[in-house]
Amino acid sequence: MVDKTLVDFVKALRNADLKVSPAETLEAMQCMNLVGYQDRRFLKDSLSMVLAKTTDEKAAFDTCFNRFFTADKFRQAMNDELDDDDQGGDADDFDSDAEGNQPAGKGGQSGGKGGGESEASEDVTALPPTSALGKLLLQGSRAELMIQIAEAGREVEVNKIVVFTQKGLFTRKIMDAMGLKGLQDEIGELQNQNAKPEQQLAGRLKVARDQLRERVRDHVERQFFLHADEQGKQLREELLKKVKLSSLEKRNFKDVQEIVLKMAKKLIAIHSKRRKTYKRGQLDVRKTLRHNMQYDGMFFDLRWKASKVDRPKVMCICDVSGSVSNYSRFLLMFLYSLASILPKARSFAFSSDLGEVTKLFEESSLEDALSKTMRDYGNGSTDYGRMFQDFKSHCMDDVNNKTTIIILGDARNNYGDARSEILREMYDKAKRVIWLNPEPRSSWAVGDSEMKKYTAACHQTEVCNSLQHLERVVSNLLKTAG
Amino acid sequence: MTLKNADKLASVEVIKHNFEQLNYICSLQIATAVFLAYHLGKPILIEGPPGVGKTELAKTTAELLDIECVRLQCYEGLDESKAIYEWKYGKQLLYTQVLKETLSEILDGATGLAESVGKLHEFGDIFFSEEFLEPRPLLKALKNETGCVLLIDEVDKSDHEFESLLLEMLSDFQLSIPEIGTVKAHPDRKPLVFLTSNNTREISDALKRRCLHLYIPFPDANLEKQIIQARVPELAENLRNQLVTFIQELREMDLKKVPAISETIDWARTLILLHSESLSPELVRQTLNVILKFQEDIEAVDSELQTITNKALKGNQGS
Repeated sequence: MVDKTLVDFVKALRNADLKVSPAETLEAMQCMNLVGYQDRRFLKDSLSMVLAKTTDEKAAFDTCFNRFFTADKFRQAMNDELDDDDQGGDADDFDSDAEGNQPAGKGGQSGGKGGGESEASEDVTALPPTSALGKLLLQGSRAELMIQIAEAGREVEVNKIVVFTQKGLFTRKIMDAMGLKGLQDEIGELQNQNAKPEQQLAGRLKVARDQLRERVRDHVERQFFLHADEQGKQLREELLKKVKLSSLEKRNFKDVQEIVLKMAKKLIAIHSKRRKTYKRGQLDVRKTLRHNMQYDGMFFDLRWKASKVDRPKVMCICDVSGSVSNYSRFLLMFLYSLASILPKARSFAFSSDLGEVTKLFEESSLEDALSKTMRDYGNGSTDYGRMFQDFKSHCMDDVNNKTTIIILGDARNNYGDARSEILREMYDKAKRVIWLNPEPRSSWAVGDSEMKKYTAACHQTEVCNSLQHLERVVSNLLKTAG
Repeated sequence: MTLKNADKLASVEVIKHNFEQLNYICSLQIATAVFLAYHLGKPILIEGPPGVGKTELAKTTAELLDIECVRLQCYEGLDESKAIYEWKYGKQLLYTQVLKETLSEILDGATGLAESVGKLHEFGDIFFSEEFLEPRPLLKALKNETGCVLLIDEVDKSDHEFESLLLEMLSDFQLSIPEIGTVKAHPDRKPLVFLTSNNTREISDALKRRCLHLYIPFPDANLEKQIIQARVPELAENLRNQLVTFIQELREMDLKKVPAISETIDWARTLILLHSESLSPELVRQTLNVILKFQEDIEAVDSELQTITNKALKGNQGS
């Protein structure tokens, strides 16, 4: 039972996005055996050390622990342990209801039957309930009951509960799975008979049934908090990743920001490992000498001076005019979340005049920087020609064969001069020019879109209108660099 | 696992108390970590900002148990020949030179190549035996007869490859040397392993899985006062309170590097040298470079010096 509690707990932890391996679960068991249930804080500290391995995970662990081992459950787990030592009697205040085999536990039972203990236990022996559930309720131990509830819960897959309103449904389902019908029939039958012991038994069964319902409801509620809360969130996140960025509403921004950070973290984890692939370069004489001593000083395993592979120098030009601003916002968010592995990112914003916003992003919080950018550059009609002109006069000298230029915009130029020859110049100088266009490919040549002209002067053009697209683009960007 | 003085690790309270005797004031969590590490036989990975006593914890544990503390300082490019073992090449060379003459005696009477090689084989791999093995910290810790504390310091500074190298050691307390075989720690004398990390990069999941994870944050005001009291007992209580309040305020500020415990201790010592009795803006300004290590930080704090000092003085009266 103790182990089961732990396994359930681990399941809940996994749900809360903690990576707990089976080996760690075993360890946690050892740890529990060592520490015991007596000291809640001690147990929490200990388990936190075994199961949560980053500061983020520790925070998640704390909430999860508090929720899972609510005072009631904790006492129960402790009691299970005590039961083994036959000391179950000292649990005076916990709402035990089904411990027919323990007089003390029974004293605190239903308030409905004020009869003495001896009388009650006589009744039990005199007239045992017949239905399976009834037997369990009146004669089984508390632990058995809990197991039954948990098992019935598993049967009806209570951990798939998604929304709060399903609570009643699942409570009912679990009760049914536990054999509620048999119990109801029994109660009905007993009530039809007029003899006193039958009536008494019926009364007791009724009380026990109502308590069981409460208990099951608690169980469902706990399951909801442990599983659905997080799962609902995951579901939402998946949806948000796929939804068009332009149709995101303001209230989703916070969620999206979180997702972007998460994605960025993942990318950082993947790519920072590759950071140090050694390139062959200059011979490292000292290392070679030392390393080859073991071969009697014969140089046949040469050592090279390691050189770190450069991260790409990214220049990002974002259209922030009304139609595209949402996309730019998230691209910039992405790039700045990646600051630790993309230290040389520079960003520019324009609708007609180009302006560099790198500093702004470094100095102020993402939120501030974004709104300031929108304020300063966001109004005015789009003029790509002007933007390229500005880029040429200010930044062309900084572009070299390590630079990757990302342009995000819909290429709708209001029938102005496209100046695609400047883009061509950038194409020749830079390592890569990537154009991200939020519009679907089919509308790239329609109306005032200059995309056709620009495509010719890009290494790569992509449709990019959801977080998933963005993630893919950024990931590719990092890969080509590694 | 039984080490000598193991009774000093009997329970969390005992550990905490014993550490206090050695002037290492720790929170319950830290004591719990040591307790678990010993009783589960697991390494501890300690993370936290610099200067909160991560390394000190390992050293203090060694001192408490009165056993050796083997330290391996990690750095970029650290490899197995520095961390585990190396062959004594010089010695090997020398011995081959010396033994050249005796070789003919050994081969005495052998006719033909096959027979000579056969005879030579009888001597086995003498040159790759423990005689010629130079143990480095990890191997030293394994072979230690009395048990020891192994401190792998700043493991985040080493390369990814090195982390993988540690895995065998951390999970099974054994190391494989191709020429000799597997060296295993005595089951009752496993080294108590502490790894520290400043979080300059993420430690791999594989490594984390094998360790208990302890995060040591900056101490709260009360704990810090106790630490200062233990480390710099000469400091008057009044000044100690002001000092700690001041430092705690600084940690709230947005600084490049916030002062850690070691800086607090340094500052306390400085104030004693200067025979100060109470904080004043002037005094703080003069000694600010003891606790702040960047010019920008000093400038940032300078403008708010008056307010913070007043707060420190007031907070002290209040308490």
